Amino acid sequence: MSAYRALILVSMVVFALALSYALTYGILRLEVPLTLRDLAKLYISTTFNPLKRELSAMTPEGVTAIVWDYRGTDTFFEIVVFYGAIIGSVALLGAVYRYPPGPGLSLIAKTVTRIVATMILVVGAAIALHGHLTPGGGFQGGATLAVSITIALVTFSLGALMLRGLTYGGMVALRSLGLIGIVLTVFMVVIASLTAGITAYVFQNQPKPGVPIGMAYSVDGIVFSGTVWFLNVLDAIAVAAGFALLFIVLIGGGVEGERE
Amino acid sequence: MMPDMARFVYNSLIVILVFNTAISLYGILARPSLVKKLIALTIFSDSLNSFAILVGYRLCKGFEQPVPPIVTRIPPTQEHISKLIATAVDPLPQALVLTAIVISLAVLAFLAALTLRIYYVSGTTDARSLALMRARAAVEGE
Repeated sequence: MSAYRALILVSMVVFALALSYALTYGILRLEVPLTLRDLAKLYISTTFNPLKRELSAMTPEGVTAIVWDYRGTDTFFEIVVFYGAIIGSVALLGAVYRYPPGPGLSLIAKTVTRIVATMILVVGAAIALHGHLTPGGGFQGGATLAVSITIALVTFSLGALMLRGLTYGGMVALRSLGLIGIVLTVFMVVIASLTAGITAYVFQNQPKPGVPIGMAYSVDGIVFSGTVWFLNVLDAIAVAAGFALLFIVLIGGGVEGERE
Repeated sequence: MMPDMARFVYNSLIVILVFNTAISLYGILARPSLVKKLIALTIFSDSLNSFAILVGYRLCKGFEQPVPPIVTRIPPTQEHISKLIATAVDPLPQALVLTAIVISLAVLAFLAALTLRIYYVSGTTDARSLALMRARAAVEGE
């Protein structure tokens, strides 16, 4: 057993030394670049450019533009993987229907959590709602919202929160609502184009060459980047509900509960 | 920043991330506890994600610090966009890393549920004990 461990240790040291040498001074040498790659130049010059209206995603934040516009289908299937994993966890641990309220932590912890969890909720909502303007987006905002739910789950106990509406079935419904909203948003421009008698692309946001139909990107000077804002908000709802579902199942799953 | 300093920091970061990867691989392969394997797996994916972000990093002309790939003036002029191209970092690795983080999180959530289920069934998360229990069950089954 110890020989096996020593073998792994030696091979890891050799791996680390060889790869660091190759990446810093050897054949795989990485230099800190002083110019952008051509692909990155293309992304940055078209992320929000009214002068190239037919090529632009009209999203000021470059990363969110790639996530929800240029590579939208990629993100869609990433969400499919994420919910597949959550469904797998629920299948392994079992649904949680009803749970007796526990005592939770002390009064000090509960009072502090009331303040802090509310503040985290606000921050998460801001990250999700401003995802097209500032760093962040639907997933990051949803994960932040889920942090607040997790803190509350630990402090107030699962049963106490279930009485206040954070139930297994409610989270499944909220998550499904977010996913249905995402699918509808994906097809929004396609449905609009069918009424106009032309065919648009799936996941289309702004007008593209040959398809002169798309979402508006601003209302009264307030930029919301067409479908990107809707996808961010719906993704935040779905991710927060998915995480809440996961933590409900991790805390209360595998324990005999009462069926509703 | 001085060019030599920038290269030194860049190379140090590469070496640190490679060693982090090696340590986490050791954790995945050699630690018997399933929970510690999970922790090592998160360190592994985070190291590789940081490495991808590092590949997308750039410095501006004269080794100046870059800016995030965000259009800050609305509507932007052609001059503003040219300045952004000259100073912004590559947004594509960040977007790909975001996808990778979500996927690794999904895998982590599933593995955490699996580990918890194993603990409920067998009462241990030690890979050696689990192998021993399986061997015993096989002997008793014959």
